[in-house]
Amino acid sequence: MFRLLKGFGVTLKFFGSKKFTILYPDEKVEMPERFRGIHRFFPDKCIVCNMCVNACPTDVITLTGKPHPDNPKKKVIDTYNIDFQGCILCDFCTEVCPTAAIVMTARYDNLSSYDRANHFKDIDWLSSNEVYGNYTIEEEVDEDEAGEEK
Amino acid sequence: MTTHTEEMTLNMGPQHPSTHGVFRLKVTVRGETITSAEPIIGYLHRGSEKLAEGLAYSQFIPYTDRLDYMNAMTNNYIYCASVEELMGLEIPERAEYLRILTMELNRVASHLLWWGTFMLDMGAISPFLYAFRDRDHILDRLNEISGARMTFNYMRIGGVKWDAPEGWIDRVKETVELIRENIHDYDTLVTGNEIFQARSKGVGYISKENAVNWGLSGPALRASGVKFDIRKDEPYSIYDRFDFDIPTREEGDVFARYKVRIAEIYESLKIVEQACEQIPDEGEIIHKKGKRLMMIKPPEGEVYKRAEASKGEIGVYLVSNKKKEPYRVKLRRPSFVNVEILEELLIGQPIANLVAIFGSLDVVLGEVDA
Repeated sequence: MFRLLKGFGVTLKFFGSKKFTILYPDEKVEMPERFRGIHRFFPDKCIVCNMCVNACPTDVITLTGKPHPDNPKKKVIDTYNIDFQGCILCDFCTEVCPTAAIVMTARYDNLSSYDRANHFKDIDWLSSNEVYGNYTIEEEVDEDEAGEEK
Repeated sequence: MTTHTEEMTLNMGPQHPSTHGVFRLKVTVRGETITSAEPIIGYLHRGSEKLAEGLAYSQFIPYTDRLDYMNAMTNNYIYCASVEELMGLEIPERAEYLRILTMELNRVASHLLWWGTFMLDMGAISPFLYAFRDRDHILDRLNEISGARMTFNYMRIGGVKWDAPEGWIDRVKETVELIRENIHDYDTLVTGNEIFQARSKGVGYISKENAVNWGLSGPALRASGVKFDIRKDEPYSIYDRFDFDIPTREEGDVFARYKVRIAEIYESLKIVEQACEQIPDEGEIIHKKGKRLMMIKPPEGEVYKRAEASKGEIGVYLVSNKKKEPYRVKLRRPSFVNVEILEELLIGQPIANLVAIFGSLDVVLGEVDA
């Protein structure tokens, strides 16, 4: 019986202590810099090398390119889609990308939907995915990151 | 007048909160006593082993996260280690320490989660909340280093993906201190509790011979008096550099398994502390061959590597035929082996003991079904 009361002592200790939970939709957990959230795509940087498509373990990335308007030897991105129904946010696409054209943001909350078809995201959505946390859109910061990737 | 009880079939699961996933148990009860129990698995089957045959070596790493999702680091490690052994890679010193740190932190997180949910099964609600609070401290540390809270995908063939961020080692030390203090509170809260002891002592007894014959591993085996831990008996990585004990108990009941796991948390924290002291300040974190992520081609051959996960012995048997994809990956999942004894343990027990016995085996269904 004594040990039982001692256990209640522990419960009482927590009774007056600070709350550890947060009110989720109003407050959000701040994710660390490396957090692997939902992608953002930078179309200007993409060189259509297909590395991300090959690296994807679930085959959810599809892309097509078109010839560069000035230099016909080069290619620029035409369509870029990620099917988030199958994406496991493993980070391989950003890891292999030589120009950091596809990055992962700290966002984790803008994919919920009532329709499965809405999880198929195209280049417009991916390139305008609001960024907060990890990556700022300033040009020089992105160049630094690209250098690190190489 | 004589009373007559009829046998009744009771389906527990697949959607039952104390099965920790989608596990179905077909139980026949006569009155309150279980007369037969048939575990039915496969509701979470994803065909991981077959999937591996169509993926490049590195691409399978995120799939190993999803086996035992409570202890993903060890799964990551054992898969990478088996490929490394096939290729004969030497892992940089700092990477080895980072691997040990993350694996042991993850083991503590896994045991804490077990502790919380097990107590929930036993009818206590507050331990669950305390366990999740502490587990979150660890998950925050792992999130900082790997970028995910549960499916880390942190290890790479030949090393690890990221170096520790600035100040991470110090934060780990603080976390260890905090958790050690709190575990002491948990001991006071639960272990001595007479009601808990009455419900767990002498329940679900596994004898030493039985445990070995059924191929149990991990805390379930050590609670039956077999001192076997791969970290000590067959040291992999750099476990031979640390000083830690293997907690064992002789009783073989639910309470013994509980005590072994609590003691293991202390031992893991000891390893984390020592690793924090010994870790070199800087250095390479990945072998240069491992940097070519999608181009890894081990030589022809086969290998079996095993490691001590939080649930027991996890093993990977890997066959390579010198291609980009593995020829065969066989995963030895501890939960799958441990759950087999359940039928024998349950027969003759009252139905109220069912969740206690099942919970004490610490089974994760992602691993049972793979």
